[in-house]
Amino acid sequence: MARAQLKITRRQLLKSGAAVGVAGAIGSSGLRGAPAHAATDDGAWYRQGQIRTTYNVCDICPWHCGVLVHSVDGVVHKVDGNPKDPKAQGRLCARGQGGPSFMYDPDRLRSPMVRTGPRGSGEFEEVTWEYALDLVAQELGKIKERSGPEALAVFGHTGGDGWFADHFAQAWGTPNAAKSSSSLCLSPREEAATLTFGWPVGGHEPVDWDGLECVALIGSHIGEDARNTVMQGFAGLHRRGGTIIAVDPRFSSAATKADHWLPIKPGTDTALLLAWIHVLVTEGLYDADYVEQWTTGFDELAAHVEDKTPEWAAAITDLPADQIRETARSMAAHAPRSVIMPGRHVTWYGNDTQRMRAVFLVNSLLGAYGREGGFYFNRAPYIGDYALPPYAVEGSAGGCAAEPAEDDDPLGDLPLGPSGKARADGVQEAFLRGPTAMQELIEPMISGDPYRIEGLLVYGVNLLHTVPNPARTLEALKALDLVVAVDVLPQEHIAWADIVLPEATYLERYEDLYTIAHKTPYIALREPAVEPMYDTKPGWWISKELGERVGLESHYPWEDIEEYLDERLRSVGANLDDLRDADGIIVQDGRPYLDDFDGSSPFDTPSGKIELYSQLLADTGHDPLPEYEPTDEPPDGYFRLLYGRHPAHTFARTQNTPGLHRVYPENELWLNAGAAAELGVSDGDRVMLENQDGATDGPIKVKATQRIRRDAVFMVHGFGQASEGLSRAHGQGASDTKLQTRYQLDPISGGAGMRVNFVRISTEA
Amino acid sequence: MSSAFLLDLAQCIGCEGCVVACNTGNDVPDGAQYIAISEQVRGTFPDLAGGVANHRCYHCADAACVSVCPTGALYRDDGLTRVDASACSGCAYCVGSCPYDVPVMVDGVATKCDGCRDVVSAGGVPWCVETCPSDALRFGPREEIAAEAHARAAAHRGEKYPDAQVYGERQAGGLGVLVVAPEDPETLGLPADPKIPLPTTAWQEVVKPGGFYITSASVLIAGLAGVIARRNHAREMAQLEADHAANAAPTDDNGEVTS
Repeated sequence: MARAQLKITRRQLLKSGAAVGVAGAIGSSGLRGAPAHAATDDGAWYRQGQIRTTYNVCDICPWHCGVLVHSVDGVVHKVDGNPKDPKAQGRLCARGQGGPSFMYDPDRLRSPMVRTGPRGSGEFEEVTWEYALDLVAQELGKIKERSGPEALAVFGHTGGDGWFADHFAQAWGTPNAAKSSSSLCLSPREEAATLTFGWPVGGHEPVDWDGLECVALIGSHIGEDARNTVMQGFAGLHRRGGTIIAVDPRFSSAATKADHWLPIKPGTDTALLLAWIHVLVTEGLYDADYVEQWTTGFDELAAHVEDKTPEWAAAITDLPADQIRETARSMAAHAPRSVIMPGRHVTWYGNDTQRMRAVFLVNSLLGAYGREGGFYFNRAPYIGDYALPPYAVEGSAGGCAAEPAEDDDPLGDLPLGPSGKARADGVQEAFLRGPTAMQELIEPMISGDPYRIEGLLVYGVNLLHTVPNPARTLEALKALDLVVAVDVLPQEHIAWADIVLPEATYLERYEDLYTIAHKTPYIALREPAVEPMYDTKPGWWISKELGERVGLESHYPWEDIEEYLDERLRSVGANLDDLRDADGIIVQDGRPYLDDFDGSSPFDTPSGKIELYSQLLADTGHDPLPEYEPTDEPPDGYFRLLYGRHPAHTFARTQNTPGLHRVYPENELWLNAGAAAELGVSDGDRVMLENQDGATDGPIKVKATQRIRRDAVFMVHGFGQASEGLSRAHGQGASDTKLQTRYQLDPISGGAGMRVNFVRISTEA
Repeated sequence: MSSAFLLDLAQCIGCEGCVVACNTGNDVPDGAQYIAISEQVRGTFPDLAGGVANHRCYHCADAACVSVCPTGALYRDDGLTRVDASACSGCAYCVGSCPYDVPVMVDGVATKCDGCRDVVSAGGVPWCVETCPSDALRFGPREEIAAEAHARAAAHRGEKYPDAQVYGERQAGGLGVLVVAPEDPETLGLPADPKIPLPTTAWQEVVKPGGFYITSASVLIAGLAGVIARRNHAREMAQLEADHAANAAPTDDNGEVTS
C-alpha cells in the first residue's frame, strides 16, 4: 500500500483570514497543550467573554444528535447535547464531545489542490476555488460527452453527502451513486425490514426504551458502540433491573451488564435465532393474538423450525441448549416489552438479510412492533421540499435515513440514466435489490463491465479504510480518468485524487435540514458556529458551484443556503429565526403504536401484514424463511477477524482528532489469553497480522484477554492509517480493512459481508 | 452545606463521555487526564465477571494533598478539593501523598479535578455529570447525593448486584465522590483503607507507616513539607520534568490508570 505524503506547493497565498489566526492560537496554546493554570478564574474559557450558543447536529457519527455549540470570540470551546433534541436529550458521547477538536485538527485540508505528480505521489499544488471548480467541471463535461453521465460514480458518507450522492448525482444523471452506510453497513437490515414489514428500520432503531423490560443484543456492543440515545436507553433498562441478553463472541462492555452472556461461535447467529423461534413456537410462548391479527405465514414458519431445536443449535453455536431455551423463555416472559436490537452494521457473512429476517421474526412473535415498550413506529416529519425541476435519474444511493423505494417490484425496470444505462453494480443479477452497492462499482472502474465507470467524485468516504479489498480499490483509482475528492482530512485516498476540494466541518457550515424519523418526528438545524477555517467551503456551496458550472443551474435556484432553508421551513409555517428560537428543533406528533392506526394496518407489505413467510423471496428464488448457512471455518493457525467500535472513535474518521486520539491512540488485537500463551505472545507485544490471502498489516499491540473466544480475534475498526498527512493517526495500530481482501456478497441486499477473513499472528513485528 | 458527586459503577459502561467532556471543557493539558476508565474483568473464559472502573479525584475530606501542600494551592471548599494553580510551587508533595494516585504535575504545576468549581459557581454542573449518557453521575448537595447513593445501592441489591454498596463514607474522612459499587469495591480498585504513600525519607520520620489519619500533626507535616519544598525546589523541578515526560503517555484503556 502506498504511503503517500502530501507534498504541496503553493500557486497562491492562502486566503488567510481571522479564522486562521485564531486557529493558530488554539493549536499552540489553547485547547491543545494548555498550561495547567488555564482553567483558573481568568483563564476558563466560559469566563473570558460572552458565550455564543449555536444549534447544530453532530456529525462525528451518523447518529446525528442535536447539539449546542458554545463559542467565545469566534472560538468553539465546547459542544453539549441539546436538551430539546429527542435523541441527545441533553447528553453527548465522547466522540461528540470531541467535535471542537475535530475542527481544530491542524492536519485538515486547507485549500483546493490539483495533483502535480503521479497519482498516489501526494504531490499537489494549491489553487483557487475558481480554478479547481472550473477544472472539475471541464473534466466532468468530457466524461459526459464521451460516455454519458452514468460513467461518473458518486460516493458519499457523513452528514453532507446528500448534496453530492443524492442531489448532484440525480441532477447530473448517474444511477451510480452509493453511500457506504448502505451496502457496507445496514442494507441487509433495511431490505429484511422492508420485506417483512413494508418499511425499513430507518435512521435509528425505534426501540421504545422507556418501557422496555428485556433486550437481546446480537453483536451490538452498546457502550463501545456509543450511540448516545441507545446508551441512555440501555442504561435506563439496566437501572430498572431489566433483563439483558448479550450474544457476542466477546465479553463486551454490554455483556458485563448482562444477565445472560452467550459467547456464540461467530457466524452461527441464525441457528440461535431459529432455535429461539422453535422454543417460542413449540412452547406456545409467542403472542398468538398478535400473530393472528398482524402476521401471515405463521404455519409455514412453525413447520420450518420444527427440527430447529436448542440441541440442534447448541451443536452449531457452541452454546448450551439450556441457555438457548432459558433465554427464549426470558424474552417471552417480558413480551411485548421485549426486543432483539436490530443492530446497525450488519454486513457480516453474506447471508445477512436472512439473519436480519430471523431477528425480525422473533420480534414479531414477541408482538413487539407498534407496542409500548417494544418498537414504536417512527415517522418522518412533515416538511416541504424546495421546488425543483425533475431529476435526470431516480436516486438509489440509500443511506442511513433513506426512505423506502416506492416500487417494491424487485424485477421491475431499473431507473435509467439519460444515455440509457442502468446501475452498474449488478443489481437484479448478482443480488436482488437494495440501494446501489458501493463495493460493486469498483470492478466496473477496472474491467469496464457492464460499462466503464470513468470518473469518481468521492465525498467524505475514507475509501481505502471503508471498502473491503483496498488493493482492488487502488487498482480502480489508477484506472479512473478522473478522481475528485471532497473531504476534511488528508485521508489515504486523497493522495490518489486529481482534484481535492477541502470542506468546512459541521461546526463551520449550514446543512440541509435534518428531518428525523422518530417516535416524535422532528426537524433539526445545523448552523455554523464560526466561519470556515482556512480556505475551506461548506458542502452545499461546493455542490452548487459545481452544479452551476456543469449546466445544472435550474437545480440550484437558491441564492444561498439561508434562502433555501427559509423556503423549506415556510412549509411548516416557520423560518430560520423561528427554528433558532425553538432551540434548533421543531418536534411534531407521531403515531408510534398500533392503537394510533384505528385498526388499519401500518404494515406496507403486499399482504398488508408482517410477512413471516416472504412470497416475494420465494418468487425470486430465495429462501422464503431464514435458513442457517454455515460460513467457512478459520484454517488451522488462523483466527476469524472480527472488528467493531471503541466509544471514542467513529469509522476511520476520528483517529487523528487530537482529543479523541488522546483517549484511544491505537487499536489493540483482542486475543484469547490461552491462545496467546500457546503462541508465546504476551499482553502488550506488538505483532504483525497476515490474512488468508497473504495481505499483512500491523504492527498491532496484543491485548491478551479472557474476554474473547479462542477462534476469533477482534480489533477496533479504522486504525492503521497510512496517510502521513494524518500526523497522529499515521501508522497507529492495524487496519481491519486492509486484512479484508475478501467479502461475501449478500444475494438479497448487495451487502458486503466482511467477517469472512482470517488472520494469523506473526511475532516478527 | 457541601457538594458531592455520585458515581454509580453499576451504571457506568465505560463510554469515555465524561473523559472527553472533562478534557474539553476544562482544557485539561496534555499529560494529565482527570478521569480514567479501565476495565476490571476477572475470571476465565467464559466464566467472567466485573465491569469498569472510573477513576478520578475522590475529594477526600481528610485530604492528604491539602495537608501536605505548603502553599495552599490545594484547598478544601464546598466539600471538594480545589486547585489554585497560580499558588502551586511545584513541590509535587501532593503527587506523592495521594492515596488514590490522582494529582499529576504538568509543566511543573500540580493539576487534578477541581470539581469544575467555576462551572458550578456559574450555575452549571460539572462537565462529566452534564454529559453522562449512562446515568452513572450526579452532582448536588452531599445529603441528597448520599441518600441517592444508598437508594441506588439498595435497588441494585434487589436486582442484579446482591453485594452492591456505597463506598466513600468512611474512607479518608469521607469522600466527596460517593461511589455505588456493584460488588466489593476492592475488586474495582477501590481500597477499603486507602494508604498514603510516603514520598520522602523526611516524611517517614514524621508519619508512622501503616496508616494515615489526619490529626493536628498534619499542620506540622505541612510546615515541614514547605521547608523541604523550598530547599529542594530546584533539584526536584528537574526530576519532575523527567517524571512528567514519563507520565505523558496516554491512558491505557485496559490497564493501569495513568497518573
